[in-house]
Formats: sequence, structure tokens, C-alpha cells
Amino acid sequence: MAYSPGFLALKGQDDKYNYFEGKILSSTITKLNAPLTQAFDSQPSSDLQISVTPTINAQMQRLADFDTLIEALEYAAKGTTGYNFHDARGNLRSVLPYRDLRQKARLSAQRLSGFGLVRGSRVAIIADTSPEFIELFFACRYAGLVPFAMPVPVNLGSHAMYVQQLGAMLNSGQASIALANLDYVNFLEEAAKETTGIKWVGTPEQLAELPVTDTEPQTNLPDETAYLQFTSGSTRAPRGVVITERALMSNIQGIVCNGLEIQPDDRAASWLPFYHDMGLVGLVLAPMVAQLSVDYLATRDFAIRPLQWLRLISRNRCTIAFSQPFGLKLCTMRVRESDLKDLDLSCWRAAGIGAEMIRPDTLKKFAEKFASVGFNDRAFLPCYGLAETTLAVTFSKINHGLKSIRIDAKTLVDKKMAVRLQAAGRKYNEFVNCGQPLPGHTVKIVNETGQELPGMMVGSVLVHGSSVMSGYFNNQEETDKALKPGNWLDTGDIGFLFDGDLYITGRRTDVIIVNGRNIRAQDIEEIAEQQPEVRSREASAFGINDDDGTTKIVLVIECRLSAATERQTLINRLQKMVYMAFGVNCLVELVPPHTLPRTSSGKLSRFAARQGFIQRTNLTDPLPAVESGDR
Amino acid sequence: MSDNSYNEILQLLCNRLENISNTDIAITPDLSLIDQLSIDSIKLLNLIMEIEDTFDISVPINALADVQTVSDLASLIHRIKTESS
Repeated sequence: MAYSPGFLALKGQDDKYNYFEGKILSSTITKLNAPLTQAFDSQPSSDLQISVTPTINAQMQRLADFDTLIEALEYAAKGTTGYNFHDARGNLRSVLPYRDLRQKARLSAQRLSGFGLVRGSRVAIIADTSPEFIELFFACRYAGLVPFAMPVPVNLGSHAMYVQQLGAMLNSGQASIALANLDYVNFLEEAAKETTGIKWVGTPEQLAELPVTDTEPQTNLPDETAYLQFTSGSTRAPRGVVITERALMSNIQGIVCNGLEIQPDDRAASWLPFYHDMGLVGLVLAPMVAQLSVDYLATRDFAIRPLQWLRLISRNRCTIAFSQPFGLKLCTMRVRESDLKDLDLSCWRAAGIGAEMIRPDTLKKFAEKFASVGFNDRAFLPCYGLAETTLAVTFSKINHGLKSIRIDAKTLVDKKMAVRLQAAGRKYNEFVNCGQPLPGHTVKIVNETGQELPGMMVGSVLVHGSSVMSGYFNNQEETDKALKPGNWLDTGDIGFLFDGDLYITGRRTDVIIVNGRNIRAQDIEEIAEQQPEVRSREASAFGINDDDGTTKIVLVIECRLSAATERQTLINRLQKMVYMAFGVNCLVELVPPHTLPRTSSGKLSRFAARQGFIQRTNLTDPLPAVESGDR
Repeated sequence: MSDNSYNEILQLLCNRLENISNTDIAITPDLSLIDQLSIDSIKLLNLIMEIEDTFDISVPINALADVQTVSDLASLIHRIKTESS
């Protein structure tokens, strides 16, 4: 679920890989095939013997019937469950039972209170997969402060861009305090120099040296802001989604009770980044609110060795683990046949899939590869959501697996209508059933003029309900664009309803989603426009889909340079800058001036630019955007 | 592979990059991994996995933000290797 930022920008195309030399290959296999038995009790590198928190709690389960996060934590802290952190080799590194989390968070809250900040002030935290992040997040809530998570740097050579991105978030969220672990605090200090209003920047260790005040935690109210969620890695204008306690608890209750039908014997595993809404709400906050234990692997460690995630699930008998389709693709691509023998994935009952367009093929390949080790494809649980609705909007039926329908491709484009494939041999698009809205939520499909469309008609997806955001923090203009009259959220996605189930067919052209990561077309264009050779409003960026379902970014520039070397230099520089900013490769096309199509008001139309590019390059377009919707 | 001098690391890295990049250009220390070698994210992850396994180190994610060239990467590995031994 959740079209939002985060996840390492990985480009999935090369499934061949080699090793330095033959001898390395065997040593790698030896390491990866190390017995699964190590986990539960032994911890060789630590003096203290630690073990993971149990799956079955010592107290009765309460299914997310709380008014606030803190109320939920106060209850969870009476049990024995909690969070577990594992390293790149799958060894247990640290354990944070909810009981300890409560105690540590309360103590840190008493230190934070020493800053004398106004209630509701923002605290920015770089969210690596660590116990410290979670402690600080809850410390903020105990102190009546509003935390927001910021990403870790993921791209080669991204130092300058990353600092710029952090600075933009600090400014947008008007943070008073900013915290990061030792690995990242220097980036944060650099970023803070360019911002105003920050009172303190430091590490959790430095915070621990500050005096403890005797402030008693005040009760949080359901209408207060619980946290901000940033939705894209924009260096210019990142938007912080405002989520209240009420919206959060409502969404979590929907996920826990209706989406996942959580039971006392459930246990979750996750590699999703904590700064991503699916990672934070779905796999940090929701499990705590339902008092489940969770096993974490850092995103980076998953990306390098996806097998470790499956081993965690297998070894700790996890029942719930979410991923973007891309994460499943990484597993299919990089887990070797020889790795399979130690896996048993029969425990995995809810394999939630979201955060980017779901292609049936990706899931089918995963299921084929892991069927022999007990993976049941009925575990697939496609869902739909976005940061602007806290997290989830719709869930397909649990334990039903992937359901999809084939839609006639021509009727879809010509009539914006979803007609089920009648005859074999016609071109079709296959779309995944994302299920029905959670209780308290309504989805409707509207046309360009905002009129509601009947079932099977394709249009903009609008959502109404208790988990919809209050707005973007301190950004009325963007809030007004997203929240339509009657508090209907325009999701920016295109889709249709069939028998009340939601099918997403595409994304409007202002956001490009590459491997689950949100990249705003505008941000790519701004990079281009910063070049001396490029004039403003002469660059257009959009995504195109390859046949295998991967999205590629295309940047078309109107260019007056004639010398081949100058043109090549510009192309190289643009590709490098886009890579450093977003960690993705892009295709740069230089075209003569006045090639890019403009709207009547003189604005560039990305939709038309994309159509033009597709025609010029004779591409077939496997997934038409269907509607322009430049906004 | 107990004593990895900077030059040995650089040499290994160059050999490896020659195999995984799809270009004919000779790998030199000053070459940019990003725009000249087009190391995409998947290739990068594989490369890091190999580096970690070969040199028995852990490459911290924050350090990659300051890596642009082949020699930057070799220096990073050398530094981690020296600090950990």
C-alpha cells in the first residue's frame, strides 16, 4: 500500500550476478546456508545472552481499541511481546520489549521536556531501523511533541543532495529538535545550518546526557497531531502529511481487525524502512497497538541479502510480512535454489502487497519459486493506500490470494471503460483486485469535472473517511489541491470499481513510481532547469513502463546546443544528477525547441510529452495512463 | 586475503568492475561509478555483497553517500578494513 517515499531506489533488470572469483561463491553459500538454529538464544558477540520476544503474549490481546498511541503502549507494556532487531547475517542484535520501550520513552520524554517547547512542536528523527528511533518516536508522544521520520541516505555520491533533502524537510516541518544516530548526525548538522528555528541537533546518546525533568506526561487527545509523514524525497518542497491520533488509531484498527484479522498467535517480520508509511504505521505502530512481536531487518540488509528476510520469517514462524512487489521481485531474482532447503514459509499467512502498482506476474513468479518451501499463494494480500490516508484504504479478502481481471486494452484507452476480455487474441491489461475500503471509508471514482462515475468506468480515485489526513503541514495550497470539497481526498491514482472492489490502473503523470519510491516529475524537471543550458519550462519528465513492468524515468529537454560533445556532456551531467538525487537511472532525450506540447495556458503537458516520446521511439505502451490529469 | 593494501583492493575492484559494467572503457581509479560506469542499484547491491564477503567487512550505508569514483570506493574499503583489523 501507500504510494510514498522511502525504499531504496533499486533498479530491477539485471538478474545475473557474479562473484569475485569461484572460491568466493562457495564461501558465500556456506555463510548463507548457516543453520537456522542460531537465533533464539545464542548471541556470540554479546556479553549478555538475549533472546527474541515471545510470539504468544503473557496477557490478553486487545485488538486496537485504544484512543491514542500512548494508551496503546501503556497496555502493551504490561505484556511480554516487543520489537526485535536482526543484523545483516540474521543474528539477533537487540531486543526492545514494549515494557522497556515504555520506560525508555518516558525517560527520554522527561529529557525532551527540558527544552521547554510548546506542545505540538516538531521533532525530526532520521529513521534508520533501530530501537533508538522507536524510543524517540514514542518519547515525543509522551512529551506532547510531534515526531517526523526522515530517510537515511541510500545513493552513491548522494551527500550534497541528501543534506539538501534533509534541510527541506526540517524547514517544511519547522522542526525544533533534530535527532540522528551517530552514523547520520553529521548530515543532519550540515542540514541544520541552512535552516532556522532548530534549537538542538544531536544523537540519542547526547540526549541521554541531558537532565531529566520531573514533568509528568500529559494525556494526548484524539484530535491532536500524532506525527507528520513526508511523502516524497523532494529537495524543494517536501510535503508533511498531518495525521491525528484519531486518524491513526482508526486506520490501525481497520488494518488489525478487518484487513489482517489479527490473532494472538500472529508475529510480524519487516524490512520496510521506518520512514515509509507502510514501514512505520503498518509494521511498527500497528503491531504494537495489537501487542504483537516483530522481527526487523534493516532495509539495506534486505536489499543486499533478501534471503535473510525469508529466513527470519521461517525461523521465527512469522505470520505477517508486507512488501512492495519490488521486494518480492528481489527475492525471486536473488535467492538461489540452494538457499531454499532450509526455508519453511508455511507459517506466512498474510503476505501484504502494496506501495506500487501490483503486477500479477511478479507475484506469480514469487509463488512459483517458493511454493516448494511451503509458501501458500493464498497468503498474498493485495491492498491499496497512501500516506494521505494514514496508510490503508482497501484490503483484499484475507486468505483469498491474488485476484485479478483481464480488461480489453483498446476499450480502456478509447472509452476509459473497463470491459472484461471477451475474446482470446485481443490485447488486454490485467489488473489486481485491491479489495474493499476499510470500515468508515468510502472510495469513489470521478471524471475530470469531479462527477462520480458508475462501476467499470475509469477515473480519478477519491477517498473519504476517518483515516484521511487533516492536510499537509503548513501548506494550504497543496492541501487545497489534494482535499476536495466534503473532505474527499484526491489520491492522484486512476482506477475503477467492480462489485465494490477497487482496481488501480495507473497513476496521474505528476508522480513517477520507481520500485515503490515516489518521485515527483517536477523535482526531476527542476534538476534539469538548474542547468545553464536548459531554460525553465523546457524540460518534461515522466515514467514509461517496460514490458516487464519496470518503470523508467524519461527526461525530455528542449535543447539549443548543436555540438555533439556538448550535448553528450549535458546528457551525462543530467543522468548523474538525477542518480545522485534519486538513485535511479534516467533516459535523457534532447529535442529541438518547441517540440514539447503545451497546454492552452502555456504549461507543459507531461501527458502529451509522454505520448510524443512514445510515438518517436515506437514504443508500445503496456499500461496507458488513461487520463492526463497534470495538476 | 589477510593483508589488503590499498593497491590490491583497487586492483580487485577494477577487475570486478570490468566484468559487471557493460562498457569497453578501461577502468581507472578516477572513473565515476555513477555516470561513466552506470552502476545501477541492483549492480551496486551485488557489488557491495561481494565486497562484504570478500573482505569480510560491513559497508555502512552512510559512507556510500561520499563515494563517487572507483578510488573513493577502494579507499572506503581500505579504511573499513584497516579500522576493523
